[in-house]
Amino acid sequence: MLSYIARRVLIAIPTLFGVATVIFALVHLQGGDPARVIAGANATPEDVDRIRHQLGLDQPLLVQYLIFMGNLLRGNLGTSVRSGQPVFNEIASRAPYTVELAVISTILAVAIGVFLGVVAATNHDNPIDLAISSFSVFGVSMPVYWLGLLLIILFAVNLHVLPAAGANQPTGFILPSLTLAFFSIGFIARQTRSAMLEVLDLDFVRTARAKGADRPTVLVKHALRNALLPIITVIGLQFGTLLGGAILTETIYAWPGLGRLLVDSIFARDFPVVQGTVFVFAAALIFVNLFTDLLYAYVDPRIRYD
Amino acid sequence: MRSRPLGLLMLAGLLIAACGGGTSTSNQQSGPKHGGTLTVAVGIDPDTLDPAAQTTTTVQQMVLMITEPLLAYDEKNTLKPVLAEKWDAAADGLSYSFTLRQGVKFSDGEPFNAAAVKFSLDRMLSPATFKTQPGVLRVIKSTDVVDDSHVKITLKTPFPPFLGAMTQAAAAVIAPNSVSQAPNTPALIQKPVGTGPYVFKERVNGDHVTFDKNPSYWGSKPNYDAQVYKVVPDAATREALVKAGQADVSYLPPANDLPALQQSQDLKVILGPSDRTIFMSINTPGKFQPLLQKPAVREALNYAVNKDAIVKNALFGAATPLDAPMSKALFGYCSTGKYDYNPDKAKQMLKDAGAEGMKLKIISPQGRYIGDYQVAQAVAGDLRKVGLQVELANPSDWPTYLSRMVNVPPDQATADMHLLGWAPSFLDAAQQFQIMTPDNFPPKGLNTSYYSNQSVTDLVTKANGETDANQRKQDYCSAGKLVWKDAPWIFLYNQKNPIVTTSKVKGIYGLANEQFVTSWASPA
Repeated sequence: MLSYIARRVLIAIPTLFGVATVIFALVHLQGGDPARVIAGANATPEDVDRIRHQLGLDQPLLVQYLIFMGNLLRGNLGTSVRSGQPVFNEIASRAPYTVELAVISTILAVAIGVFLGVVAATNHDNPIDLAISSFSVFGVSMPVYWLGLLLIILFAVNLHVLPAAGANQPTGFILPSLTLAFFSIGFIARQTRSAMLEVLDLDFVRTARAKGADRPTVLVKHALRNALLPIITVIGLQFGTLLGGAILTETIYAWPGLGRLLVDSIFARDFPVVQGTVFVFAAALIFVNLFTDLLYAYVDPRIRYD
Repeated sequence: MRSRPLGLLMLAGLLIAACGGGTSTSNQQSGPKHGGTLTVAVGIDPDTLDPAAQTTTTVQQMVLMITEPLLAYDEKNTLKPVLAEKWDAAADGLSYSFTLRQGVKFSDGEPFNAAAVKFSLDRMLSPATFKTQPGVLRVIKSTDVVDDSHVKITLKTPFPPFLGAMTQAAAAVIAPNSVSQAPNTPALIQKPVGTGPYVFKERVNGDHVTFDKNPSYWGSKPNYDAQVYKVVPDAATREALVKAGQADVSYLPPANDLPALQQSQDLKVILGPSDRTIFMSINTPGKFQPLLQKPAVREALNYAVNKDAIVKNALFGAATPLDAPMSKALFGYCSTGKYDYNPDKAKQMLKDAGAEGMKLKIISPQGRYIGDYQVAQAVAGDLRKVGLQVELANPSDWPTYLSRMVNVPPDQATADMHLLGWAPSFLDAAQQFQIMTPDNFPPKGLNTSYYSNQSVTDLVTKANGETDANQRKQDYCSAGKLVWKDAPWIFLYNQKNPIVTTSKVKGIYGLANEQFVTSWASPA
């Protein structure tokens, strides 16, 4: 097991460098002279040239690439051209906000999604199932932006109970987490429902019932446990969606996380921060994938990594 | 950095949290006129609060709460003394003497004096300062300390709009010792220290900047104890904040909500002034469409577009149609008449010029100016009505638009017309004409219609160095009339700058440089 983890981590390193190269290429292909954008529309050509030089953007692209990769090897993500701060500090000051939203909304999505899925499966083809399935479709298809605004209008403007935006109030996280969780709830509920339906008809569930186990035990210990693998896969995948969803959610709710940092940096053509943030997102996804794979082995002892 | 385990714990309280969620912004103040906190929702997260490095109006406004320049524009666009009490221009226009206000201290206790002015201007001009933006202030050759309360600034060439240029945030005076106090470095200021009515308290990147009242301010004291500028990128959310009473002021609400907001009892809409002209810049060399070389064709395009309808339907009233190639707020403005909406006349002129059914490609950004792409759509629609074959490209984001499609040399131009706005950073026609003379063809400047008329260039060059104010005004006015007749643009409108406040606030006003001044606001 340990050697498996070590191997996976080692494989992750070249993957990350591949990711870094792709990010660098994408960012520089995107176009838009950063010096011009940073200098602002009214800047004189001298201002633009000086900024271009200060930021090293007058170097050939290959040189810029080598500098970027060299710095990355030394754990240095560079300096933001927008703020003049180290990219690492920029990311470190924003990451806790995004992690907070991602973790809370994952917990919400898993708890509510799995619960709804199990209820739907056990009420197969009756009105409760129909209601839950409709709700799931609704959740999956609802645009984040629209849902976000509706929640703001309801809870902040009309009911005056929750802050509409920002992170400097203790309850500020509630609306963005709910919004972020909404899509995943639907997705996880649907997956749980179908996984449970497959399992519920199998012999071992009938046997468990026959031996007199009570209903919750049958559902959770026997059926759900065996239905977990596809559900875990979906949750792992959802985590990536959450990071992506963070970009929109953080914008609507003025939440100062990594998604906002990424958007602001893209518009400002702050290449070092764009590269750094996407890199961190990629690393987080690789880590979550690894964690998901390890979880398989825990949930299903038949799966072994040697 | 800030750890947030609290949020995780709060999850448990999710369902009961509804009880404790309300946030009050202006606390119960004892006196009706002062105290409490003013919360202002703005769309921009400052890149930097360093006076020398900022480029954005919103940021300038924050910087100018903390630091002050020698002089500033008032609401009537005239210069008023701030840290300088008096000033004199030498007869040759090559130097300016300033008499400084005495007895002023920076908020850290350092005295404000001539040495501080010299330090700040030298720092702004120094290439060692992180992405510093001297712009036209590069005309400064040297700043000399005459005595403690007098400075003399010598210019490289006569520059009559110099006093206007000195109102910019880049020329604000900072406390010299503060630049070496962490987290500041001489190259980059994160925590500006100045003489302003408010002092910097804290900043959480991406979330807010807090300012505290400066108790030892030299002028009349500010009313709010603190002001919080909350960074809220989404316009609809900013609007919701002020509707929910969670912000007192909100910048740039969605334009299409302006009529409803104006109807509301609890809210006030302020249409702040702006010196931003919005226009459809025409490719005058006619790279794709040679007919555009003819001024008559370009005039016809001006007659074909219904500016009033655009202001009403796409801007919801937040603009005034142009009657000169510059905003009324600028020194050098004079009215040149209007191109009244007259599609029949336009058709006839196009026919006479052999331009019937001419093909045109228009490009426009989205999200840069109020209602920008809708305006481009309206222009395209009007031009189709006079029989032209107009293709309007999909909108572009601003950085791509600016650097790839608009700010390109003449041979790389990408369309026949493009929507553009221009807002001089100080109120002088010298800055407006920058984009109408051939020395400013992109990528050097933003004369993106590649417009060139020797008479205009001569008048502008003369005016830019003219020390007689009346003559200078006259020259800009004459140049403006020539430009109007040449029609290198479809002249559209002078944008206004909407903000919405709750009725609990008063005393906020806008300036023509698009800044709002909240420093003197008070609870209503």
